[in-house]
Amino acid sequence: MAIVVNLDVMLAKRKMKLKELSEKVGVSTVNLSILKQGKVKAIRFSTLDSICLALDCQPGDILEHIE
Amino acid sequence: MKSLKHISVAFLIILISGLGTYYLKPKNPIMMIFQFLIVGFFIFNLIIRKSLSFKNYFTSQYNLFTTKVWSEKSYDIPKELMFEKIIEVINHSDFKLVESDKDKFEILAISTITFKSWGENLYISFETKGNETIMKFCSATLFQIYSWGKNEKNCTDLLNEIEKSLTI
Repeated sequence: MAIVVNLDVMLAKRKMKLKELSEKVGVSTVNLSILKQGKVKAIRFSTLDSICLALDCQPGDILEHIE
Repeated sequence: MKSLKHISVAFLIILISGLGTYYLKPKNPIMMIFQFLIVGFFIFNLIIRKSLSFKNYFTSQYNLFTTKVWSEKSYDIPKELMFEKIIEVINHSDFKLVESDKDKFEILAISTITFKSWGENLYISFETKGNETIMKFCSATLFQIYSWGKNEKNCTDLLNEIEKSLTI
C-alpha cells in the first residue's frame, strides 16, 4: 500500500504506550495494533480526529503517502 | 459421505416406523430403553458441546448427527492479532464465546438454543501461510441433518462483521 501509517513513530515521540492511547481514544488496542501495521480497510475521520487530539499532532504526522 | 448420511437417516426412519407398530407401545421395556438412550444421548451432547476438546467429535465427517458447514477467509494480518480481533468481533455478535485456546489458536463460540434451532457450535482455527492468516470456520449444528441455510447465513454474517470491524 502507498499509504504508510506512522503511528508507532508518533507514539515514540510522545512517549505514549498503545494501551494509553487506546484508553484516550476509545479504540481497542487490537484495532490500534492493526492500524499501526497499516492493515485496516479504512479509518473514520472521527477516529483520526481523536488520535490527533490525543497525540497532539496533524493527520499528516500519522499518515504518509509514498511513491 | 453426504449420500451415506441421507441413506442412514432414511434407513433409521424406516426402521423406527417399521418397528414402531410392534414395540412403540406405552410401558413397553424396549420403548423405555429406546427413549432413555435418545434422551441420554441428547443430554450428553448438550453437556460436551461447550468444550473445545470435543471439536473433532462434532466436526468429524463420520458424525451423522451434526450438520457441518465449512468456510475459509484469509487476511494479511498476523495470526496473533487476528485471534484477538475475532474474539472481539464474537463478543459483539450474536454468538457467545465459550472457549479460546491461545496456544492452539482455536476458538469455540455458540449460538443459543431457540425454538427454531438446537444451537450452533462455531469452531474457528487459524493457520499462517506466508504473510497471510487463514481462518477456517466450521459451523456444526447438533441433531440436525440439514442446516436449511441458517448456518451459512450465520457464518456469512460473522464474516461481514469481521470485514466491517476492519474499518476503525
